[in-house]
Amino acid sequence: MSTGEKPILSMKEAVRRFAPDGQELLIGGFAFSDPTALAHELIRQQRKSLFIMKTSGGVLVDQLVGAGCVTRVLSCHVWNSVGPVPAHCFRRALEQGKPHAIEIEELSYGAFTTALAAGACDLPFMPTTPVQGAGHFTQRTFLRDKFAVVENPFGGGPVCVVPPLKPALGFFHVHRADQYGNAQLFGPTGEMRFAMAACRKLVVIAEELVDTEVIRQHPEASVAPGFMVDAVVVEPWAAHPTDSYGYYYRDLAHHALYGEMSRTEEGFRRYIDEWVLATGDHAGFIRKLGEERTAELEARHKRYW
Amino acid sequence: MSATRFEQMLVTGARCITNGEVLFVGFHWPMLMARIARRLHAPNIVVVYENGIVEDRLTPTFPTSPCDLVAAEGAPVCAGSLDALYMWLGSGRVQMTLLEAPIIDRYGNVNTTAVGPYARPKVRLPGSGGGTELSSLGRNLTLVNASSSKRSYPERVDYITSPGYLGGAQERSRLGYKPGTGPSTLVNPLGLCKFDEQGEMYLAALHADISPEEAKASFGWPIKIKDGYEVLAAPTADELKVIREELAHARERYYLLPEE
Repeated sequence: MSTGEKPILSMKEAVRRFAPDGQELLIGGFAFSDPTALAHELIRQQRKSLFIMKTSGGVLVDQLVGAGCVTRVLSCHVWNSVGPVPAHCFRRALEQGKPHAIEIEELSYGAFTTALAAGACDLPFMPTTPVQGAGHFTQRTFLRDKFAVVENPFGGGPVCVVPPLKPALGFFHVHRADQYGNAQLFGPTGEMRFAMAACRKLVVIAEELVDTEVIRQHPEASVAPGFMVDAVVVEPWAAHPTDSYGYYYRDLAHHALYGEMSRTEEGFRRYIDEWVLATGDHAGFIRKLGEERTAELEARHKRYW
Repeated sequence: MSATRFEQMLVTGARCITNGEVLFVGFHWPMLMARIARRLHAPNIVVVYENGIVEDRLTPTFPTSPCDLVAAEGAPVCAGSLDALYMWLGSGRVQMTLLEAPIIDRYGNVNTTAVGPYARPKVRLPGSGGGTELSSLGRNLTLVNASSSKRSYPERVDYITSPGYLGGAQERSRLGYKPGTGPSTLVNPLGLCKFDEQGEMYLAALHADISPEEAKASFGWPIKIKDGYEVLAAPTADELKVIREELAHARERYYLLPEE
């Protein structure tokens, strides 16, 4: 964390530098702004034993699990939200230990948000949704201290609390960033602002690199001040097939294609071979998708910014 | 053509929605019910989603999920999850909460996580998302289960993702859940269920073509039925027209519909 210009890295270089085998890594996005381009590069570089934290795992976590990159997942939801259809690799890993077993720890979305908010603000704990009696409260896999109950010091009974969550590293999709790392995200932000501030190291993946003067026109859209950011990756269409507000829509057909192919292990491998390995990098993936398709997905309404 | 049971369920759910209210709407069929209600009798509802989107009019395109950002087109507010889950829902500013409950037990506990042992489940499901918050914090919690199979109504769920009355209403209040929260209604293809003072579910109203015997047989415990239970009116021609238009729209948007 520092001021000044930040390294502008290719996705390949960012993964090489920041995400070795065994890395604890929070990936941003909540079924929109999911940085699929990052997951694909982790798969191309054959990462192993990652500890992935992601609020809504979606197709992105499903692919990492299917490709055998992950041993631990902390999440609140993992599914293919178009259809909806199952996250088949996630199911195979948990039901049958294929391609290998993974450990899963779960929080509700609110508990995840508040744990990240506590981490972001460096608070010792934070009150959260009452979940006593629910499965996430009693079922603890590797985060033994994920919830506790304290007596309200101001009177009024038991209060469920979460500890601060401070991921070692975060990768987040944003809309635009400048060379100092100032990063902007328009539209809904889910838990993203807290999640970014909770991470001890932070890499942003921007649809476009812009001049600071452009950032200044809408300072209210900045989700991370440059001093929180360690590196910037510029990767157009990084969140496909999820949506990037104001840039492109969710690609329903591609979600369905992935859902269909990933039904079997063999089909999943074919998807990875064709769409991830053979394409070489994300620009190659987008070329394979084709100009006609990207033109259909591009948001055509006039942006306010 | 007369209404299918699924269509009847959508009408019954939509009719539960009061015009002018603020609704927290969860993923899947609740979104469709809110959309149908807005087109029929409730044009002035304000719908909020867990990611922070406020939707105060009919979006031209039906979102595939709350995070399909066609839901945010022309939204008056795009905020975040702390706003949605705590500033709006937890604070009691939301008047009705709609949550899908594909597996639900006698006390309204919902499982969307795992069937069978947690460590090696028979069927692994998506997990909570914001579903836990909807049932822990939401007022007038209305649950939706599109199934009438006995497997969807066990006496006790294997995993409580969204807490209902847990082991009974006393347990929920003893653990510190706020008064006025907890399941109020379940809508399903059979009709409507309510919850008694102990937090136990009972059949309160049935669709016209459903007999009490058939309804009872769908539950994994001897469910009670209200004396003089209500018989729900069949969908009107207007209701059916709107529902079928929206189902066609949903199909175009890659929704998998129960008949298919």
